[in-house]
Amino acid sequence: MQKRITSILALLFLAGSMLAGGPQVSLHGQKQIGMGLIGTSLSLDASSAFYNPGALAFLNQKTYISFGISPLRSFAVYRTAQPSVYESRTHNPIGTPFYLYASTQITKKLTAALAINTPYGNSLKWDKNWAGRYEIQDLSLECITMQPTLSYKVNDWLGIGAGFVYAYGKVVLNKALPLGGTNGDGTLGIEGSTTTTGFNIGVKIKPTKKLEFGIDYRSKLSMKLKDAKADFVVPVSMSTSFPAGNTVNAELPLAANLDIGGSYWVDEKLMVGFSLNYVMWNVYDSLKFDFKTNTSQLPDVHSPREYKSQMIYRIGGQYILNTKVTLRAGAYYDPSPCNPNYFTPETPSLNNTAFTCGLSYSPVKKVSIDLSFLYIQGAQKNLTFVPDNFSGTYKTRFFIPGIGVSINL
Amino acid sequence: MKRMKFNIIILALALLAFACKPMIDVPAPSAGTADFTTYVSLGNSLTAGYADGDLSRSGQLNSYPSMLATQFNYVGRKGDFKQPLMVDETGFGNRLKFTALTAAGPTIVSYGAANPANFASIASAGPYYNMGVPGAKSYHLPAVGYGNPANGAGNYNPYYARFAVTPATSSVLSDALALHPTFYSLWIGNNDVLLYAIAGGSFDAITPLATFTASVTAVVTALKATGAKGVMANIPDISSLPFFNTVPYNPLYITDAASLTALNTAYGNGALGITFTSGYNRLVIADPLDPMGMRQIKSTELVLLSLPTDSLKLKGWGTQKPVPAKYILDETELANIRTAITNFNASLATIASANNVPMIDMNAKLLQVKAGMVISGMKFNTSFISGGLFSLDGIHLTPRGYAIVSNYFIDGINSYYKSTIPRVEISGFRGIVFP
Repeated sequence: MQKRITSILALLFLAGSMLAGGPQVSLHGQKQIGMGLIGTSLSLDASSAFYNPGALAFLNQKTYISFGISPLRSFAVYRTAQPSVYESRTHNPIGTPFYLYASTQITKKLTAALAINTPYGNSLKWDKNWAGRYEIQDLSLECITMQPTLSYKVNDWLGIGAGFVYAYGKVVLNKALPLGGTNGDGTLGIEGSTTTTGFNIGVKIKPTKKLEFGIDYRSKLSMKLKDAKADFVVPVSMSTSFPAGNTVNAELPLAANLDIGGSYWVDEKLMVGFSLNYVMWNVYDSLKFDFKTNTSQLPDVHSPREYKSQMIYRIGGQYILNTKVTLRAGAYYDPSPCNPNYFTPETPSLNNTAFTCGLSYSPVKKVSIDLSFLYIQGAQKNLTFVPDNFSGTYKTRFFIPGIGVSINL
Repeated sequence: MKRMKFNIIILALALLAFACKPMIDVPAPSAGTADFTTYVSLGNSLTAGYADGDLSRSGQLNSYPSMLATQFNYVGRKGDFKQPLMVDETGFGNRLKFTALTAAGPTIVSYGAANPANFASIASAGPYYNMGVPGAKSYHLPAVGYGNPANGAGNYNPYYARFAVTPATSSVLSDALALHPTFYSLWIGNNDVLLYAIAGGSFDAITPLATFTASVTAVVTALKATGAKGVMANIPDISSLPFFNTVPYNPLYITDAASLTALNTAYGNGALGITFTSGYNRLVIADPLDPMGMRQIKSTELVLLSLPTDSLKLKGWGTQKPVPAKYILDETELANIRTAITNFNASLATIASANNVPMIDMNAKLLQVKAGMVISGMKFNTSFISGGLFSLDGIHLTPRGYAIVSNYFIDGINSYYKSTIPRVEISGFRGIVFP
């Protein structure tokens, strides 16, 4: 056990990340991933603390622990506007979104839980000298949240719950500047971290034994970087315009989510469900960089993004093969929140279609090893970032295997 | 059951290993109705790859014909696109170097003395497909012996002498025709007016329109007779060129009352029409047509980049002594230049149209850049140094500028010949290198 806890703590420092539907990750439980990431109406294990605190109260064992990791391989390819032969690909490091949930019944009606996971993230690395280097060279956005949660079972068919979210965020960004010197382009590196708070509230309704509904709202997280490092590397003759030791304030809002889900147990073995996730990306209107020291060459940057809120449509189901094995499958459609006129390669989020499958295996009672596999395909599209006249064709793909363990005691 | 789990892991890994990379589906480049098998470029310094005051090896490697040839490779061009490369970066010794940026402006100095090897003929290592010759005017292209050193200094072009196949009998045109081009680019005529303009109207002469028209017609019809298709470009107005638009007409900042009084007294307190007031003052320039032989410059007249600005301070140019006329384009000279450019461009358009050759309107394109343009996060305009388009000489382009010009050619060719030649990736070329 000691060993396990250390390894889980080690995961915290790996700080997971991924991108899909903007910088939002939804890899919060291998069972849910296996079913197209539906989860709002389900009470499978302690992961409900994230998906719907209201569903926690329906867990029928005393204590649940689950943890897992989803090593994520993501690929983006860019081609300049036609006719062209220029193409560039990302070499993204493997992202490591993880989760750790624990819940325990305090009374028959009241359940407490703690959720630690990585609800947002982005890990992107283009070639240093690629055609879009004046937009972005690499970006790493990490977000880890910790959410203490309480859930109350009002009666046999109604559960409510709420969690307080404490979030840690870290951003590392590098881009080239079109200021050439004898050593090539100038560069800007920004690095900073911040913390913020939010909340997660949910309601679950179980009108019949077979039918479950859930609704959940997770607030936006406003990541405000204050006095983040802003390191400019420019030719000597320009150095007074880009003073050393500069800092920058910036804000990256991470979208609120409103999720509605339903699930139906066709018989004792087969369950099918859906989930609608309304992701309120409209908060991401622009990216502002407010530099502490401005010069005539270095004004503050106000770069439009104009994201739109989008609905993600998910379906999935599971089939309990026997006491040891449960099989899962699902799919979803996650339209891009990006404005096609303000589409930047820092978050190449396209219209994503995803297919998932999963499997739980219980070697012994009370323990389940959960596996999932998620494949996401971002549809090829011609897009432009108008202010910089940067346009081209993008396509993305993600391969995300996942493994987790759930224990109930 | 363990086996099943194992299988799924294997399946997942296999997917990761083999199906990872997304591919973008795009149509293959096509040549359309043109044939790019053998491409030959004709023109002047802009075509040769001249930049930063001279022709250098790196400049040639970043010439727009070199970029076009690379892109034509995708639509059927064959063989090496051999250029008459200089041995090194020194060129003929006129190359410039940007060494510092101060409040007073950029410090630009000589890159260094010429390597004598750059003057040697390399004709025997040819043939060369970039026939751009620095200094060439319209009538030089069909001129036999234009690269013949036997004509004596000043009577031949030393750049062309480097690669003229048979100096005594070759013309740029005849050498080009001998390559049997299937496709050519022709950007000529700039020097027919520009050399006069660069000299402040004091040397050289604007080519008579009839000579210009006859010369260009001769070149285009000779190329057309071989069945070659081509593309032409016209002459940018000097208002787009930093050489003519960097030094202001009123650079003299004087606020000290004693100096102002002294200057005004010297010029008869306004009696001679020359006055100085506190602030920025107009230069006093030489004007042989003025009764005094000097006057203050008008705001509509241009001061050339060649003006040694330290002479304003050190030698009292513009205040105590008139700035020599070779650094100034006065209203008459400007009118001559503008009329010539208008007429030449009209003539080029007529010739192109009569011979079914698409014309790239570089004049209009550069005026667009002048208004400001952004490409993939790179900002361009026609300002000296900061504009990114023009090199240190204020007339020729940076590699990035030549890449932009290449895309103007490609767009024009694609549109006329229904081809889909891939555009040049502009960010792959450098702009101004700041010290």
